[in-house]
Amino acid sequence: MRWLALIWKSLLRSKRRTLLIVGSLMLSVFTVAVLQSLLTSLNSMTNNPNSSNRLAVRHKSGLTQMLPRSYEPYLRQQPEVETVCALQWFGGYYQDPRNFFANLAADETTIFQMFREEFGVSDITEAQIKDFQRDGAGCIVGEVLAKKNGWKVGDVVPLTGTIFPINPRLNIRIIYKSPRPSDENALYFHFKVLEEGVPRMKGLSGSFWVRLHRPEDIPRFVERVDRHYANSAYETLTETENAFNLGFVKMLGNIGAIIQGITLAVVVAILIVTGNTMATAIRERTTEIAVFRAMGFSSGRVLTLLLVEGMLLVAMGGMLGLLLALVAATGVRSTLGSLTPFLADFTILPDTILACLGGTLVVGLLATFIPAYAATRRPITDGLKAIG
Amino acid sequence: MDTPSISLGGGEPIIRLRDVAKSYWREELEIPVLQGIDLDIPVGAYIALMGPSGSGKTTLLNLIAGIDRPTGGSLEVCGSELNDLDDDELAGWRNGHVGFIFQNYNLVPVLTAFENVELPLLLTGAGRGERRDRVEQALGLVNLTDKLRSYPRQLSGGQEQRVAIARAIVTEPDLLVADEPTGALDAKNAEEVLGLMERLNSELGKTIVMVTHDPKAAHHARHQIHLEKGVFDRTVEVNR
Repeated sequence: MRWLALIWKSLLRSKRRTLLIVGSLMLSVFTVAVLQSLLTSLNSMTNNPNSSNRLAVRHKSGLTQMLPRSYEPYLRQQPEVETVCALQWFGGYYQDPRNFFANLAADETTIFQMFREEFGVSDITEAQIKDFQRDGAGCIVGEVLAKKNGWKVGDVVPLTGTIFPINPRLNIRIIYKSPRPSDENALYFHFKVLEEGVPRMKGLSGSFWVRLHRPEDIPRFVERVDRHYANSAYETLTETENAFNLGFVKMLGNIGAIIQGITLAVVVAILIVTGNTMATAIRERTTEIAVFRAMGFSSGRVLTLLLVEGMLLVAMGGMLGLLLALVAATGVRSTLGSLTPFLADFTILPDTILACLGGTLVVGLLATFIPAYAATRRPITDGLKAIG
Repeated sequence: MDTPSISLGGGEPIIRLRDVAKSYWREELEIPVLQGIDLDIPVGAYIALMGPSGSGKTTLLNLIAGIDRPTGGSLEVCGSELNDLDDDELAGWRNGHVGFIFQNYNLVPVLTAFENVELPLLLTGAGRGERRDRVEQALGLVNLTDKLRSYPRQLSGGQEQRVAIARAIVTEPDLLVADEPTGALDAKNAEEVLGLMERLNSELGKTIVMVTHDPKAAHHARHQIHLEKGVFDRTVEVNR
């Protein structure tokens, strides 16, 4: 305790400089924390723990090509398969084209079995499911999406198609809750709505979702299906759900490399800025350090005091930056989460907080140690500038 | 080189230098600053080290105070052979035995007078209450009890130097070393500081070694030792 007052007063020696360095550290840590969390959110999209035994079967040439619904019985017949669900991205909007959310045509008979973890099926009654399946214009909606638009069960949702030239009017039959908020920003309706409204979609689907009994069966199943349809008019590409989602993320470019590159640049920049600031601050105190040592402070003690001072400075900046990032994450979730699915789960994870704090302290240690060590190794008489 | 040795007599020496030499190196070139210094200074002495610029007086003071190392010879100060102490031991020794008074006071600008004086006590085992008592006592000795909470920028030069003197004596060291303690003061404040140092010597029995080029300041010491080109030139006993 006896040293804390001394360290604190030294820290506030130049309030403007302290404020500036804390401010720059705060912004740097904020930037790094947000970017790394963005990366984590993107990665979590492609790493859904509930999808370990789910696969997507699609046209080998790309997502815009369709597969015949006649593939469905073959897929269902495979011994590894638990269920199959035809799924087609509809891409419609509600009232405003900027009001983006996922809306898909799905096989209403198997969708609950397929996505039972995401739909929290245990909370949905059998009667609700039957109610949805009986209503050809029925749809199910995630709670995040329903809350955002003020929807409740029984409401009619008019969707405007963008890819397909139909504007279906859908009845909300179920509002589901999901473990991940990003999964609640979606709407599913009967596949028949698409087939009946769009003649060219008759007997076709953009993809089939397949649920296997055991994840270990995936390689065998994938190999068999793709070999079966090889050299046909509709060749398939079968991949895990995570790999399928990764394809979308990759459309954004190598986001991971870009984010890591920016993070590295920020860390290097802040290391240089902090190092330069600490070097200047310590150089200005050369005589004072010599006086301390003359009074009996050992080099080690002076070095420790300077290091603690430097670490305290960066820790303040780091913690403020993290606080700002946590506040920003809450804001991002509530404002952008419903517009951009992966931002619905946007959060600063404890791992990111620890990594940022650890990184900040390492930067502080590196930036302070070199000038502090040099200052404490300098002869006292040099520091006092007192050669007679 | 034969140089005169100086023994001021008067009892057990607190400073005992034998054949002390100090050189600095500029690349390959050796620059001798002190050569063959023999010196005995008794407890309670008040010495003024004098000499022209470059004569080695500050270097000799630094060696006595243990903030520099000799290139030759032995230094026994306050009962310790300084050459036998490593850097950390020497730091501890300085804290216990030596008080420093600098030309430019060298107070820490962000600390109050109280906190500046308290600094050397932080290294001792003294508790908060004991530290407070000793700091107030030291500031009382220099007549600055009304400036406990003042920062250096709020004090005059003379007051700053008196705070520095309080800081030098707060650990009750045996030896005070002062390098041009009045060099930055006007005549009135210089006289006040020198009077204070004289009191510390005569009333508290502190041994003082002061470097000065000011004959008036030197006149306050009991002995003047003159250096010339790194060797003793002469010793003068002062009749005050």
